[in-house]
Amino acid sequence: MRHLVFLLPALLLLLALPDTRGRYNDDFDDGEDIAEFDDNDFAEFEDVSEDPAVDVEKEPPPRAAPSSTPIEDDEDEATVENEDGQDEFEDADAQDQDMYSKYDNEEFEGYEKTNPSFKNTLIYREVPAHLQNSWESYYMEILMVTGLLAYIMNYIIGKNKNSRLAQAWFNSHRELLESNFALVGDDGTSKEATSTGKLNQENEHIYNLWCSGRVCCEGMLIQLKFLKRQDLLNVLARMMRPACDQVQVKVTLNDEDMDTFVFAVGSRKAMARLQKEMQDLSEFCGDKPKSGAKYGVPESLSILSEMGEVTDGVMDNKMVHYLTSHADKIESIHFSDQFSGPKVMQEEGQPLKLPETKKTLLFTFNVPGMGNTSPKDMDSLLPLMNMVIYSIDKVKKLRLNREGKQKADRNRARVEENFLKQTHTQRQEAAQTRREEKKRAEKERIMNEEDPDRQRRLEEAAQRREQKKLEKKQMKMKQIKVKAM
Amino acid sequence: MTVNNMADPRRPNKIFRYKPPNTETNPTLEDPTPDYMNLLGMVFSMCGLMLKLKWCAWIAVYCSFISFANSRSSEDTKQMMSSFMLSISAVVMSYLQNPQPMSPPW
Repeated sequence: MRHLVFLLPALLLLLALPDTRGRYNDDFDDGEDIAEFDDNDFAEFEDVSEDPAVDVEKEPPPRAAPSSTPIEDDEDEATVENEDGQDEFEDADAQDQDMYSKYDNEEFEGYEKTNPSFKNTLIYREVPAHLQNSWESYYMEILMVTGLLAYIMNYIIGKNKNSRLAQAWFNSHRELLESNFALVGDDGTSKEATSTGKLNQENEHIYNLWCSGRVCCEGMLIQLKFLKRQDLLNVLARMMRPACDQVQVKVTLNDEDMDTFVFAVGSRKAMARLQKEMQDLSEFCGDKPKSGAKYGVPESLSILSEMGEVTDGVMDNKMVHYLTSHADKIESIHFSDQFSGPKVMQEEGQPLKLPETKKTLLFTFNVPGMGNTSPKDMDSLLPLMNMVIYSIDKVKKLRLNREGKQKADRNRARVEENFLKQTHTQRQEAAQTRREEKKRAEKERIMNEEDPDRQRRLEEAAQRREQKKLEKKQMKMKQIKVKAM
Repeated sequence: MTVNNMADPRRPNKIFRYKPPNTETNPTLEDPTPDYMNLLGMVFSMCGLMLKLKWCAWIAVYCSFISFANSRSSEDTKQMMSSFMLSISAVVMSYLQNPQPMSPPW
């Protein structure tokens, strides 16, 4: 009986398919009726008329699936869902199944092939990681932040260590410095020259101390060049290439405090490097560094000197004793009256002027420990500071004999001549450009002059000057010719 | 007594004031690391902002930290702070635009 009830309307619909929708909309004013029709009786059949293909496809799977469920049970949830779907279909549309049982299985043989593809087209989107509510997906960020925290920790620890080392050095050397210098510690900013009594922090790893007010010298600048313990990158780099903290002492002298000589002693590596780098050592100490063994100093140290007399003069017993007992801590010692710093590389080639020189004593000491220094190690540098003070007094007393002095003067004259020769062409060019600039400036002035009278007068003056110059040149040429003859 | 026999080497009348070494004439004395790192940090943070690359922004943060650690005390703190803020803003902007976590390059 139920079949008949649904068959009749179905036939009607099928016959009048194109017009049904429109007619329903136009003819039936009663909304309830429409609703009734849509929901209860004709809904499924409307779906059939609208999408015959989809419905036909939907129905065979429920029929085909029961036969193939045992096989597809192992596969993904698609099969499960379909089965659920099937159940829904079966529950809600039992009538449909009964209806379609009229169809042959043979009619849907082809559709089985489409079944797997239908199931496989179900795509499972991954939930984006930031919506997953798990911190684990952000592991790279956590790593980065951890790295930053490690860097900050290392910065604080390294800064404190360097600060402690500097303070330890100053505490152990304070007495010696204060007994030798009237001014200990000055940053150059205060109005009056009073001892600040503390180190000047330039950096997290460099500390300065300026001492002045002593006989035999102008002043002494001590630089504590520690390793960059506050920079984690540097710490890691030092694990590959060990380095050590250094103490650099630079004593500047007045003209009367030192005679004219250039001398250096230090580790072999340092001497080789300084000979190449330093302006004065490369010019005055041309020979290869000599081994220190000749003068009673350990093999590890080598000597660069302007002349033998200088070496003999500097290397007296006390100095040799100092060098021998602290050879491991000495990187380089450099006495020079022509000190101008390392060679400056300029783009134009040679600098036009001789660099300014200052009488200087330079000491570079290595702090023992090779990076793993403790504040106690700073005490071991105290004898080296004693050596510095001793050297200052010694250099004041060291005077070359007549021969030595002549040799030294000749050396300096030679160096200056060489320099002038090398820069001759460049100086000429520079003079030429200067002259041209002057001329151009004059011409411009004349052109800019508004008053025609003044313009004329200036032009005439310029012409007269040119004439005079030419005449002078001609006279000179004549003189040279006469002399040549 | 013996201490007084030795002449006191100190001469208060011969005091010279400290003059910071002129780094213009001798550029080799200066350490270029903080300047390079500053520049690198700015470049990376601009890359991170424009190209929306998270790893660029993180490297910029690291560069500005390294520059700060190596800087001289005489240097402008404003410069440090500005590069630091720029790198932090690069990181924040990259994450606001694309909250997904960073994927490793391997």
